[in-house]
Amino acid sequence: MNYLHPPRLDRLAREYALGTLTGRARRRFERVLRQAPAASQAVAAWQERFSVLAAAVPPMQPREAVWHGLERRLFDSAARADEPAARPLQWLWTLVSGRLWAGALAGALLAVVVLRTQPEWAGLESADRALPESYVGLLLDPAGQPALLANSRRHGRQLTVKVLQPVTVPAGQVAQLWAFPARGAPFPVAPLPPLPGRGASVTLTLPDTSEKLFANVPRLGVTFEATPANPGETLRRDPVLAGHCVKLW
Amino acid sequence: MPDAVDDLVSLLARVALRDRPAFERLYRATCAHLLGVAFRILNNRDRAEEVLQEAFMNVWHSAGGYKPGVAAPMTWLINIVRNKAIDALRSGRAERASTVSLHDDEGEGMDVPDDEALQPQRLLADSLLRVKIDRCMDELNAAQRQALALAYYRGMVHTEIAEALHAPLGTAKAWVRRGLDKLKDCLQAAGVAA
Repeated sequence: MNYLHPPRLDRLAREYALGTLTGRARRRFERVLRQAPAASQAVAAWQERFSVLAAAVPPMQPREAVWHGLERRLFDSAARADEPAARPLQWLWTLVSGRLWAGALAGALLAVVVLRTQPEWAGLESADRALPESYVGLLLDPAGQPALLANSRRHGRQLTVKVLQPVTVPAGQVAQLWAFPARGAPFPVAPLPPLPGRGASVTLTLPDTSEKLFANVPRLGVTFEATPANPGETLRRDPVLAGHCVKLW
Repeated sequence: MPDAVDDLVSLLARVALRDRPAFERLYRATCAHLLGVAFRILNNRDRAEEVLQEAFMNVWHSAGGYKPGVAAPMTWLINIVRNKAIDALRSGRAERASTVSLHDDEGEGMDVPDDEALQPQRLLADSLLRVKIDRCMDELNAAQRQALALAYYRGMVHTEIAEALHAPLGTAKAWVRRGLDKLKDCLQAAGVAA
């Protein structure tokens, strides 16, 4: 069945957004959503239409206990509450933090060299030889081999990604960069531009300064997606590349 | 209300940066409306408040993923709350009831009857009136309007709508389809939504 046939896509999108698409049909459409930007757009349009229907819903003030519960759950025991979020990626973190931690450090050192010798890779405006304060991420593949080196000035909005080994993004998909904060769920950073060959770099603009995005982010990951991650979207799958994000200052 | 929308966008941006005072302001500004949405679906205040809390946990963790160009802030928030409420409804944690017992912090209780003001059809009519597409939507018959209202406000699936309206399943599906077609047409004609 061609789910992207416009009239059929619109019917599925609205039933999905309304909630009347259920069971296997819903799961099938969720797979389409992950692969087809047109499907995500159709669902977003229907969600916007349905928001009109919420306009007349009478407000109802929640009891203060709801807010206190939120504060307690989020801020009193944030570390414990957020622990399970890391579990699905445990294999990768174990790999990264154990045997190949030295590799990550080597990557950070490599970044130091890179930043010293090729300052334009980090978008540096100054010819000053002093190492600028930067965030550096070394992303490894499942075999533990360094694949991408990402770096950005601490207060900059440009992220440079150097390809250490060729990364093959499946046709029609994009590489999506995710941040894994120390506390809280992973959040999407930005889709990566088409990746060049080994040794070459690409630069992308971040939605905010590195400091604001990565200050509490010890790890980064990359997934392959049909569409860039949507607002509010949580991690869809285990990353194909992952590794530490470190502060160079 | 562009100012209010801008405020919510700005608050969400600050929440993404782990700004706790902004998070509380966002909660205070939107919680009553969002609890109303969850309550219509679950018909149970305790369950609706649980859903609201879960939704704001999600907001704290996911605010960085909100993109102003893709969705209005309230649409994004309503979507989170509504999805969680429907999940809760379908996982059997909520019971449909015609009356709901409410208990405030002081232990006072009161029963809120499922009166006409809370009926899905009435909510639909009021919503359509607000965006001035009520006349356009008048072309739907009562059953078509009821089917649409039960799906949106009560989170019902086709089989439940068929049962509630004493109609064959195929008929209930057709009513919902017709309601959605008309909603889209009327909103487009009024220039309210894409």
